[in-house]
This record gives sequence, C-alpha cells and structure tokens, in this order.
Amino acid sequence: MTIATESARPHHTLWGDAWIRLRRNRLAVAGAIIILIIALAAIIYPFFSKYDFASQDLNAILQGPSSAHLLGTDELGRDVLTRLVSGARTSLMVGVFTQIIVLGIGMPIGAISAAAGGWVDNIMMRFVDVIYAFPDILLIILVRSILGGSIYMIFLAIGLVNWVGIARLVRGQILSLKQRDFVTAARVFGGSGGYTTMRHLLPNSLGPVIVSVTFNIPRAIFTEAALSYIGIGVQPPTPSWGAMIRDGYNVIFAAPHLVLFPAIAIGLLMLSFTFLGDGLRDALDPRLRR
Amino acid sequence: MTRYIINRLLWLIVVLFVVSLITFILMHLVPGGPWDKEKTLAPQVVEALNKKYGLDQPIIVQFGNYLGGILHGDLGVSYSFQDRNVTDIILQGLPKTATLGVVAFILAILIGIPFGMAAALKQNSWIDYLSVLFSTIFASIPGFVLGILLIIILSVELHWLPTGGWGSVQQIIMPAFALATLPAAFIARMTRASTLEVLRQDYVRTAQAMGLRQRVILTRHVLRNSLIPVVTVAGPELAALISGSFIIENLFSIPGIGRMFVNGVFARDYGLIMGSVLFYAFAVALINLVVDIMYAVIDPRIRFD
Amino acid sequence: MVKKILTIFFALVIITSLIVMPACSSAPSGPQNLTVNIAGEPSQIDPNRASWSTERTVIMQVFEGLLGFNQDLSLKTVGATDMPTVGNGGISADGKTYTFKLRPEVTWSDGVKVTAHNYEYSIKRLFDPDLAAEYTSFYFNIVGGQAYYEAISATTAAKAQLHDAVGVKALDDYTLEIKLINAQPTFLQLMALWPTYPIREDIVTQYGATWTEPPHYIGNGPFIMTEWVHSDHITMIKNPNYWGDKAKLDKLVLNMTTDANALFAAYQNNEVDISGVPAGTEKTVMADTTLSPQILRFAELTTFAFQFNVTTAPFDNKNLRKALNAGIDRDAFINNVRGGVGQPAYSWIPPGMPGYDANLGADYHFDVTKAKAFLTAAGYSDGSKVPELHLQYADTGINPTIAQFIQQQMKTNLNISVVIEPMERKAFTQAVNAEQYTWAWYGWGADYPDPEDWLPQLFGTGAGNNHTNYSSAAFDSLCAQAAVELDNAKRLDLYAQAQAMVVDDAPVLFMFYRERFVLVKPHVQGLKHTGMDGDVPGDMFFANVWIQN
Repeated sequence: MTIATESARPHHTLWGDAWIRLRRNRLAVAGAIIILIIALAAIIYPFFSKYDFASQDLNAILQGPSSAHLLGTDELGRDVLTRLVSGARTSLMVGVFTQIIVLGIGMPIGAISAAAGGWVDNIMMRFVDVIYAFPDILLIILVRSILGGSIYMIFLAIGLVNWVGIARLVRGQILSLKQRDFVTAARVFGGSGGYTTMRHLLPNSLGPVIVSVTFNIPRAIFTEAALSYIGIGVQPPTPSWGAMIRDGYNVIFAAPHLVLFPAIAIGLLMLSFTFLGDGLRDALDPRLRR
Repeated sequence: MTRYIINRLLWLIVVLFVVSLITFILMHLVPGGPWDKEKTLAPQVVEALNKKYGLDQPIIVQFGNYLGGILHGDLGVSYSFQDRNVTDIILQGLPKTATLGVVAFILAILIGIPFGMAAALKQNSWIDYLSVLFSTIFASIPGFVLGILLIIILSVELHWLPTGGWGSVQQIIMPAFALATLPAAFIARMTRASTLEVLRQDYVRTAQAMGLRQRVILTRHVLRNSLIPVVTVAGPELAALISGSFIIENLFSIPGIGRMFVNGVFARDYGLIMGSVLFYAFAVALINLVVDIMYAVIDPRIRFD
Repeated sequence: MVKKILTIFFALVIITSLIVMPACSSAPSGPQNLTVNIAGEPSQIDPNRASWSTERTVIMQVFEGLLGFNQDLSLKTVGATDMPTVGNGGISADGKTYTFKLRPEVTWSDGVKVTAHNYEYSIKRLFDPDLAAEYTSFYFNIVGGQAYYEAISATTAAKAQLHDAVGVKALDDYTLEIKLINAQPTFLQLMALWPTYPIREDIVTQYGATWTEPPHYIGNGPFIMTEWVHSDHITMIKNPNYWGDKAKLDKLVLNMTTDANALFAAYQNNEVDISGVPAGTEKTVMADTTLSPQILRFAELTTFAFQFNVTTAPFDNKNLRKALNAGIDRDAFINNVRGGVGQPAYSWIPPGMPGYDANLGADYHFDVTKAKAFLTAAGYSDGSKVPELHLQYADTGINPTIAQFIQQQMKTNLNISVVIEPMERKAFTQAVNAEQYTWAWYGWGADYPDPEDWLPQLFGTGAGNNHTNYSSAAFDSLCAQAAVELDNAKRLDLYAQAQAMVVDDAPVLFMFYRERFVLVKPHVQGLKHTGMDGDVPGDMFFANVWIQN
C-alpha cells in the first residue's frame, strides 16, 4: 500500500515541474500571452494595415491621433501605429538576441569560475575585469564603426559589453550556494564538481539570473534607444522602438505623442517580462518542488 | 585578507596594461582619425599636426611613448581641447561626475532596497504591485526622455529649477533623479527576488519555527543574506554612475567626464580616450575589489584562500 | 486746401513720431547682461590656430583685425586706417604688395598700444610648423609662408631662417607690409578673418599654452574674457580700454549647452537670451503666441547637397545625375518636412553671395516627366533598371529624416531603389575625405563671402575639398583665370561661367540653402545678424547689442 502510493506519485523533472507551476501563475501567463501577442502582431499586422511602415504622406506630418491614423503620424507623415507594431519586431530581436549572447557567454564563465575556484577563478575573473573595465559606450562605438551598421552588429555590440554582469552574478550566487547543505551533501555522496555544478548549483542560481534577464531585455531595448540618440542606432527606415523614441525626442515640443506611444509599448513589454520572469523564478525554485 | 588585497592590486596593474593595449589597438583600427574634418584639412596641415602630436611614428612607438608618459604621471594631451592635458581635463570633470553619480546612487539605494524589501515581505499585496508598477514605469522611460520631461515640467512650466549647468544644489536634483530611476528599479527588483529567496531558506524557516522574533530574523538573517546579489549588481551600478552618463550630462549641460569621454570617442581624441579608459578601468576594478571584500563582510562563509 | 495741408501736416507728425518714438524708448535699461549659447567647449581659442564654429565666436569678441565685415558682408577697416587700393598706394600696381596703415589709437585691453609688430608676429606665427594651425593653407600665397609651414622636420636654425623669410614686415610701428607670390583679389577678405588678428608675443612667450586662459588672454576687441569654466561657460565683460565705440553690454556670457531641446527649454526658462529651435518644432513655435514674435529668420551662406562620387558607376553617368536632380520635390521637403524653413537649391552658390544666380538649374525644378527623359537619355528605360543606389550620411541631427525623404522620393517618383547607410560621424567624414563613398549628404558654409571659396575649392581638379572627383579642364581654366583677375566684374563673370558648368554637369544633387530660425528675447536690442554667423546669430556685432527691460 505504501509502495503503491509512492509509485503513484508522478516523478517530474526539474523543467517539467517548473512548467506545471508556471502555468498556474496567472500573472506570468498573462505576461507570456502579451509578449506572444506583441510578437504575433509584429508579424501579422503589416498584412492588414493599409499603411506601410516606410510610406510617407508629406501632407500629413506630425499629426495627432485621428481616425485615419489611430496613433498619429511622425515627422515624415508615416503611420505611427504601423511603425510601432513593425518596430516591435526589431526591439524584441534586440532584447532577446542580446540576452542570448549575454547568457551564452556569461553563464558558463561565471559557473566554471565559481565551481573551479583557485587559479582558474582568478584568471577568469581578471579577464572579466578587463572586459568590465572597458566603458560600454566605447566598445559599442568601436564595434559599430569597425564592423558596420547592420542590426546584427548591434546585437553583438550590446551583447559583448553586457555578459560580464551575468558572469559575476552567477559566480556570486554559486559561491554562496556552494557553502549550503544540499551542495555539501551532494559532494559527500560523491558527485563530481562538474555534475554538482550542473545538477545543483546552476539551477539554484537561476532565480536572480532570470530576474536579471527579464530586466536586461528592456534595458537592451533602451541601450538601442540611447545608441540612436548619439547616432549609432539601427538603419532606417526599419523602425525600432528605440529609434522611434529618439525621433520623437527630437520633436517632443511639437508632437509629444511620438515619444509617448513607444514608451508605453516598452512599458507594457517590460511589465510582461517582469511577470513572466517572476513566474519563472518561482517555478524554477527547487525548494518549491514536490 | 591583506595578502588577498595586495594580490588583487597587483593584478590591477596587469588589467590596466591589457586594457590600455586593447584600447590603443582598437582606437587605431576604427575608421577616421582626429584630423578627418568636414572641411578637409590641407595635406601639409595634417602632416604638421601628426608631427606635433607624434602620430607620424609607428604605432608601437606611440604606445611605448604613451606608457612612458604614464609612468611619469602624464596622461598625454587632448587633440580636441588642444591647450589642455588629459589629466587636467579628467580632474576637472571628475568631481562633478562623481558627485552626481554618488547622489544618484544613494537615491537609487534609498528608493530601491526599502521598496524591494517591502514588496518581498508583503508578497502579492498592494505594496508589491505598486513597487512593480513604479519600477516598470521608471524603467520604461529612457534617461533622455525622462530628463527632458523633468525639464519641461519643472523648468519650462513651473520655473522651479534651472534646466542645467553645474554649481548649485538645484542643478543636481533633476539629473540625479533621472540617473537614479533605472538603477533604483533594478535594485528594487533584485532585492525583492533575493529576499524571497532567503525567506524560503531552511534556516529562516527554522528560526521562525523556533519562535524568534520577526525583527530579529529580518535583521540577523534576511537582510544580510538577501543583500549579497544586491551588492553584486549595486557595485557595477555605482561604477557606471561614477564614470558618468553621456546622455544625462549632455542633456543637463554638466561639465563632467561622461560627456567629455563620448565626445572624445567621436572626435578620435586618442589622448582623451586613453586617459578616460584607464581612469574608468581603475575605478571599476577598485569598486569590484570593494564588492568582493563586502561579500566576505556580509557572508562570513565566503573566505579568500 | 488748408485742410489738405493740415492733414498732410498731421500725417507727417504721426509718421515722424512713429519713427522717432521707438528709437527714444529703445534705450539701454536694466542690467546690461547678455547670455547666449555656443555649441560646446571650444577646441582652443588661439586666433592663429582656431578653425570655424565655437572658437570663432569667442575670438571675435576679444580680438579684431586690420579689416572686418559689415552686416552685408562687405569689407570695412577696423585696425587699419584705410582700405588698401591701388589708387591709395595700399596695393602695388602688380597686386603683389599690400601696405596697411594702422590706427595709432588702438590698444590692447591692458592699455598697451597695438602695433604693426603684433601683426607681423601673429602672421609669421601662423606659418610656424610646430604650431600646426589649421587655416594656414588659406594664406600660402604669402611669400615664404608655405615653405616655412612645410619645414616640419627642419632644424631650429633652418626654421628660424624660414620664419624670417616670410613676406610680412612691420615697416614701422604703424605700417605693415605683406608680400604675395601672386596677385590675389580676395586677399583683403582673408585679412578680415581671425587667423591674422594681432597677438602679443610677450604674453605668448611668458605663459605658453596657458596664454589663452584668463587673465592672460589679452585682446584688442570690445570684450575681455574674465572666466572660462571649461565645458560650462565663458564670461566676458566690457573692455574699458577699447579704442572705438565701447560695448553697450556690461557682461556677455557664453553657455555651452549642446542638446537642442535643452537649449530651447533654457530659453523658455529665461536662462539664455538667444536660442535655436529644435528642427521640426518650427511650426509649433510659429503657432505659439508668446514665442512667435520672438522669431528671427535669416538666410545663411550655406548650401546642403548630396555629392555623387562621379568616378563610380552608376554616378559616372551625367544624365542619371540630372535625372535624380529633377526627380526630387524640394518644395515638399522645405514646406512640409522642414516647416517652411530653408530655400530649395537648384544651383551651388547660395543667395546673398556674389555669384548667386537664380536662373541656374532650371532643369532641376521638380518635374517627373523631365526626370524620366533624363533617365532615358542615361540609358535606363525605367527607374527599376537603375542599379540599387547607396546613400551614406552621418547619423546625427535630422540627417536620417533627410535620407529617408530622398529614399522615398526616388522610389515614388522614379521607381529607383535607394539603400540608406547611416554611419558613425567620424567614419563618415573619413569615408568622404578618402572618396570611399558613393553618394553622400553634406553641406558647405562660406569661410569668406566669395565664389573663390565655393568653386575651385570644391570642384577644381584634385582640390582639397573636391570629393566628388569632378574634373573638368574648362572649369579649371576658368577658375585659374578668375583667381588672378583684378577686375572684379570680369572675375565674377568668369566664376559665373564656371558655376554654370558645374550646375550643368551636376556632380551633386542640390538640395537647399540653409535658413536660420532662432528665437531672440524681446529685451535684446540692436542685434545684427549676417549670413556667416553660424550657430550664434549676431556674434560679429555683440558690441552693438543692448538690453532694454
């Protein structure tokens, strides 16, 4: 009887378990849905809009919202709604791809450094120091002027300057987790260093990492806006939210709505990522596993 | 501990050397030099300028000369501000940028940590949602937009504060706030996440089960442990704030090093770029060292061996 | 009859009072302080070494030369007693020797007399290779100048010898003689520019590089610099020892805001008295009841255009270049996108300059049919047959807007595809200077108001600022004749022919002549703007400005 009960209890993997818990978190699901809607709209909307994101109407410049243009027009008479929806694609790409680069480089380096310790840690952290010691803006400008203006170079540039934060975060987390009982237990029971790191340390350090990533996605979107402000942003006429905010900033005294709408869009996206991130963190927390 | 610190300081020299070497190489790889002007300079002029600033020599000799200068405490001359040397430029801008950065950092901590703590302790309450909402709103507005909105409201409409410049308390308020919002939001989120994490730890539960007073648990266990990830992110935030923000300094016309540095990059002012990068690298490395030492102070289980 | 006379009398009284009254009420009142904005920290403010932009604004308040400009940009004497002519003996018959007589009453701000030796020192210093001054090449026609400047690696002794050989000499305290290699009709204009302003040898020797910091920065102009807070502001006060009409202002402050929105806000918060308007905000300002009476608009001697690299395909095709010129609706750009600010350009030299010709470029007025005819002549039956064009620009200000406008115009009007390529600003400048571009956005502003600064400089074969690679033997020959033609009418006619050639060959797509659109507080009186003022309107004549509160 006891045995039967034991076996009847389903055995979940870390990720399967997380998925179930994530689905139960209403805010996280709402966040995910909004992100999906934004992404889908970016793909589908252009087929339904009567405007093209690049087509100009020189007789309708800097207009406020109207029935013809629900969110008004920009400095070249282009439909802001169309550009906002199309811009979502660029901005989501900037946000997501830079974080993929950031995680791809930062997590392994942080994890290896903390797990190995000793001289490996020392060498790696000094390497991190070197990268860290470069002012972001210098690296980005240099990468952009050497490698050219394609959007992939923006991902690369932003990704290359931001991974060190994650590396240090992961390292810090693991260093503090290493001392905890369950890790010690795993070691005592003969888990190898690499195994312990993969099985116990990395998953347990994911909480702050995920929070950091959900925060860094909108931050990357911002960095792109800042790059636009100083003149090294994405190539027009392809819209991005960052570039739209910059263009809107130029005429903020004449048409404040041009800043307002992309800012609201970034806010909405950011809120969604925040809820999703919180949900993910809770879902991935091994102590909440059953 | 002392050995550890000395060790790290020695490493700092190596890091600075590597940083300056990489910067030097990258700088010369970038298209465009200091004398590429919109009105093209006559070839004789370019030749004279190159000679004057030693740019006619092989790159490796230039780098050697530069290092030699540094050993004598000379960061070289600026090409865009030709009658001033780089050391003077940085020393004039630094106090302004650093003051602004520290004020912004304190603001960010004062807003971020209490908000994050409160949100975590009262998870899913109105204060939690309010904290999320505020941090989202402030994190959704880029600095230059928030800055100009502040200027429009507080200067243009209400005439309460000057739009920019440096020298009075009134002139710090807006730029410091515009600088602080994003780190504050970030720190709040980070604090909330790590506090929740700590609250679930066995020792906190044990303490609660043992009936320790909530305040003791909070101060002795939660606050201390939940600050570790916060320190990790706050250090770099401080470094970033102290090294200056081009956008905020530019918008508020603050004569700081952030604005000078980015203009230096655009002007291919090799001297100013090298000097700024070295200074920045030094400051960041130093702050990282302090962060690492603070780990040990906050979390006694971490030892330096 | 009596009634009629009375009516006329009263009418006259009213008219006279209308004319006289404002003049009476418009007297200096309140603190005489003016605050303006320069676009950032000056690179340095040594008159010999300074180039255009912010440096010039500072220098012109503190220094003045032998000659200067009137508001209409004609020449006037300042430190010199007479304008040298062949008639008064100031210019030798062969046009190669200039003699300037100095006003003895001119003094430095510390009371010391300004002498011809100060000018001799300054102009010889201009050629010092160790100083590496940027505008020196303008003066290579002075005997011995170029040789001295190019002797970069010479020994100290050789340099000293070349220095002494430069053809500038103080014959006595108040007579300066300058010898030229060739006759140069524009030489007097060059003598009105800042690189030839006098400089004090004793001060430069004593203070070295720091001589440009107050209180050592001693000039002979209407203002004295008392404070330079780097990257923040410069303060000047009235020079009590100024030889001429003293400045009406007591204090002049130059702020250094660079963000256009921030400057506009500072103006509205009464922190500056003169400000630009962020591009795109002009219509809003015109509609604003408070701000619209404060608008000051004036033409600037600046032409904006897209230069073609005429040695690269397909821009080596003259008819294609003409087709692009005719296929752009410049009026739509000016009126709709730029809020009516600026004037469409169909030729090179801007209005207000000698040599401007409104009749040039008739072929380039917007006309799709004509553009398509040019396209056919170029060998393309349709715009879609034209290879994809690549347009480069520096990613600053409203350049992205301009580029996207062109892109759309080409597509809509001619069915030509254009890829626009924003570049980091210095990388862009380098690409243009090295002629590694295909089609680039640029502007040219007058250094001095003469076609010489506009034609041979930019379109002469191999000229320093010729980045289109345009080359025409006929054009070069016209410019060579004009360069030494002392008869001004003949000279301008030669340049007119040269410009007509350039316009016909279309090495650039002419876009617009710049118009400045600025705001001036109503209490600022006596502001005199010119077409060469740059970012600070009226900076040539701040000494005439007064405040009336």
